[in-house]
This record gives sequence, C-alpha cells and structure tokens, in this order.
Amino acid sequence: MTRILLRNKLDDCIAAWQKAGFSVLAPVKRHEMSSFGEVQKSGDMALDLILTERTIKDQFFPQTEPLIKYKIGKQQIDSETMTPPEKKRVFFGVRPCDASGLAIDDPLFGWDYKDDYWFRRRDNSVIVTIACAQADDFCMCTSVKLSPDSAKGADVLLRPLLEGSGWQIEVFTERGKALLEIVSSLLLEGNGHTFPLPQVPEKFDLEKVMAWLGDKENFESQFWKDIALRCVGCGSCTFLCPTCHCFDIQDEGDTYQGIRRKNWDSCSFALFTMHTSGHNPRNTQSTRWRQRIMHKFNYYRGKFGVNSCSGCGRCTRQCPVDMGITETLQAITNLPR
Amino acid sequence: MIYSPFPMRVVSKRQEAPGVNTLKLEFVKQEDHEFFKANYRTGMFGLYGVFGEGESTFCVASPETRKDYIECTFRQSGRVTSTLANTDAGDIVTFRGPYGNRFPIEQFEGKNLLFIAGGIALPPTRSVIWSCLDQREKYKNVTIVYGARTVADLVYKNELDDWKQRDDVRLVLTVDPGGETPDWQDHVGFVPTVLEQAAPSPENTIAVLCGPPIMIKFTLAALERLGFTAENVYTTLENRMKCGVGKCGRCNVGSVYICKEGPVFTAAEVQAMPQADL
Repeated sequence: MTRILLRNKLDDCIAAWQKAGFSVLAPVKRHEMSSFGEVQKSGDMALDLILTERTIKDQFFPQTEPLIKYKIGKQQIDSETMTPPEKKRVFFGVRPCDASGLAIDDPLFGWDYKDDYWFRRRDNSVIVTIACAQADDFCMCTSVKLSPDSAKGADVLLRPLLEGSGWQIEVFTERGKALLEIVSSLLLEGNGHTFPLPQVPEKFDLEKVMAWLGDKENFESQFWKDIALRCVGCGSCTFLCPTCHCFDIQDEGDTYQGIRRKNWDSCSFALFTMHTSGHNPRNTQSTRWRQRIMHKFNYYRGKFGVNSCSGCGRCTRQCPVDMGITETLQAITNLPR
Repeated sequence: MIYSPFPMRVVSKRQEAPGVNTLKLEFVKQEDHEFFKANYRTGMFGLYGVFGEGESTFCVASPETRKDYIECTFRQSGRVTSTLANTDAGDIVTFRGPYGNRFPIEQFEGKNLLFIAGGIALPPTRSVIWSCLDQREKYKNVTIVYGARTVADLVYKNELDDWKQRDDVRLVLTVDPGGETPDWQDHVGFVPTVLEQAAPSPENTIAVLCGPPIMIKFTLAALERLGFTAENVYTTLENRMKCGVGKCGRCNVGSVYICKEGPVFTAAEVQAMPQADL
C-alpha cells in the first residue's frame, strides 16, 4: 500500500516541517527568472512550471560564496573563515533532472578533498522530487538515459495524481523517511491513478556520441570549428546548467577589508584558462565549446562513471543564439559512420 | 575548511633576476607546519596568496629534504605576484597546499640523473635537484643543463656557482645567442642544441625536464635523438588553476587534471594527452 499526499494538506505539511526546524524551498516566480526560493505556504509555489529557469544548483553552489573575510590593518591582517548556514532544508517540487544534477556533482565535490561548502548544504537538505506531467521540445532527459520520473538524487519521489488532487509517494532514503514521519498524520494510505508520463523523444544517440567523442582522431576535427561558429561565449548555458560546477576564487573588497569569494566561472570565457604569459590552451570559442562537450560526455564519465548532463535542456532553451548541447550531439549522431 | 590557506611569515626575499624574486616563508602555526612536513614531496605545488589581491599557483621551489621553510620563486607579472614581490621580512602572506603529485625520486635511486631547465623553470627543477643532492650517495652521475635568454635572466646564481664547483655535479650553462656578456665563459646556444653537444648517456639515466612549451618540444626531440625513452623523461606541467584540488574545472589537458594527476608527468604521459589542448 502506498501513501498519498493531498494538495490541500500541503500547507499543513509546510507548517509541520517548519515547526520541525526546516526551511521549505520550492519553485517560485519571484524575480525576473523563476528559481528555487523559500516559501511559507503552498500558494507561494509554482509547481506547474515545467522547469524553473534557474537551477536548484544555486541553492548548493551559489553564484557567489563567501569563503574568507579579511581585514588589512597597518600591523597585521586578520582573516576569518566563513561557513555556509547549517539550516535544515526541504526542497519540494524538484524536477528529476535538477535532482539528478545534484547527484551527478556529488562525486566531483567529494573526491579526495571534500568541498565543505557543498556538502554542508547537501547533508542538511531533503530532496522531494515531483515527476513531470509535461515536457517541452527542449527536454532531453531520455537522451541521457534518465526519465521524467527518475528518482536519481531524490529522497522522496512524488507522482502527480490524474485528477490533480495530490501526489502518490515513493520514499528512497532514510532522510526521506524521516521527513515523511513528521507529516505522517497528514498522509493518506491508498493507490491513486497517476498522471501519465510525458513523451520525451530521444534527440540523439548517446552511445554513438560517446564513441565519437572517445575517438582521439576527432579531437581536432573540423566539426568543432563549424559547430561552434555561432557561439558568442556568453556563458549562459554554463550558469543555467544543473551540473556545471566551474568556479573562480577572487578577493573582492577595498584597500582595508574584503571577502575572498568562490564565484561561478565558465569554460566559455577566454580568460578561464589564460596563462600569465599570455599563452592560452583554449584560445578559440571552438576549443572552449569542445571542452564543454568533452568534459560532460567524456572526461567526467572517465573520472566519476557518469555523464555530466541530466538532460534538462536549459542550455538550449535559454541560449541567445539557439545553440546548445542538443544540437551538437544531434550533429554528432548524424555524422556519417 | 577547504580553500582556507595557512598564514606564512616572510623570512627573506632575494632577487634572482630582473622581475624574478625568491621568498623564503615560514609557518606561523605549528600545526600547519606539521601538516606540510607530513605531506610535502618534491614536485608538489601550492597557491601563494595575499589577502586583497588573491592567489597564484606556483611550485614549491625548496626540496623535500628541507622542510623547515618553503621557498617560492616567481616572476612579477600580475596583482598577486607584484604584491608578493613587494613584501618585506616579517610580512604575512598565505600558502595553500602542498597539492598534486611528485617526482618519484626513490625510483631514481642508483641511476644517473640529467636535469634540464630553461629560464624561470629552474625553480621546480631545483626542488628535485636539491632533494637528490641532499642524499647524493643514492644517485650516480648528476648532470644539470640550464639555459636562459640572457646572463641576467639566470636564476639562483649563487647555487649555480655551488654546483659548478662541486666535483660530483656536471653543470652545463648556456644563454641564448645574443644574451651573453663579454665575460661569459659558458655556452652560447639554445638548450636543445647545447644538450646534444653535451651528449649525456641515456644508459641507466632519468631526465627531468622543465621549461616553456617551445623548449620542451625541441628538447624532447633532442633527448630522443640521444636515445632517451619517453618513460625515462619526467616533466612538470603548469596551467591556470584556482582551486588546486580538482574542482574548479580549468587546468585539465584532455581528461587529465594537472592539479590532481600532475603536475609531474613522464614525457610518455604528456605525449598521450591531446596536444591541441596543451
């Protein structure tokens, strides 16, 4: 027997979780772009969005993260390490691709040297994924072997009921179990009819793409020069990607004080790899685009056994020149064998 | 916390060449020093920083046989290196590391050693040189080939004199044509050419090679002509880095992260990387 969360109990759930010390975050339309934000009631949530424009990554790897506060005095320099807040959080209404993105990035932030800033937030967060009821032309989760109801990265997976009255619950982790324990009196027992999953056609042949990228002969192929001609190097696709994790460390302040920050950076930018000498290993937009594709579908898998793409399609959906990963991988799929 | 550096006190500063300085740094905190002593091996690197300016990546130029302090040698070129170059004894700077892999010098024991460096690339080589010279009995013949653009650009001039006077080290010094002074008595010519003239035997020999990409390219060809195999030639790569610990995503050459899998590689490993990404 499965359990059901009714939509009209959601406000009570939020209150119960808040009482248990959690902040509740969900998709919201508050600023110019939809994103994840703290909510007080179900009416604050924008659960009907196919996908927020900004990713859930922002909440674990913020655009700018203070690392160290420093004060420069006449005699000495004082510095203080800054740590992320330890607040417990529930993320309600995460799409499977966004939740997968978090799981994809865990090994990167955890290998060898553990990034405390990422894991302190991860360890204090519970992910409640809601399976998709709709998809758009840019969605490509199935192309990267995920699905509109993937439970990857989810502590709890909710499937929307056909009549829109609530969700059927699946629990995957102890953390998810504990979260539902808090609201157990608000849940119903039973099986509902769940909404059929949207059709997300496969847009490229992942096996062929990976084989082509893995062939060293293709690294200097003319293909890269042609496919990247349109790229203006704005970096939007990397900032809006749930798995892109590249960052810079910069001191920002005045003569006397400031903060050392970990800021988002992008492989699309020429300065990203520029040496002091002026030498730049990736000195053209095509070499930078190649890096992005190779990193996602070859290098990352070599290190961590998984491709660094969860198929959300934001890179294409929000590209100012209508480019994106899908087009490149389609083009590779269509190359003559 | 990750990304939090150790405070370091500047003990002394020495100008090596125009725009090139060496800082000798000591640990402010005992626990940081213990960590360094337990972890530092020759070839590893660190991020040297000044609050308000940022961090820059360069090698630890002092050997693993001398861990009471850290020496770093750098060319003054940006905000961080300019500020570091303007420090005085007693000033506090920061160090994060040691990171990366190392030269496996215990595997070099019982072998001849050939060190080849160009210009500002002597500092990483010098760390290995002293790590071996401080345990001289473990190694056979030691040859050092070092060249710079001009006589003024040669770094560690005092140590070059030391090596020249030692009878257990063969030092081959050269400057590029036009870079010599009237009283220059050593070679004039590019490193690869001078190396071939010096003709060290590849027999039971490990070569350690550091320099700018163009020098590496031609020197590798010269080493090959001398009979060295790529497995017996070691080098250290440098790329722009921000984290030093395999996360910030920029130092990779192909799939290889210089900060984690390097910076020390054999020439065979470097040749296996996509050359267009170097």
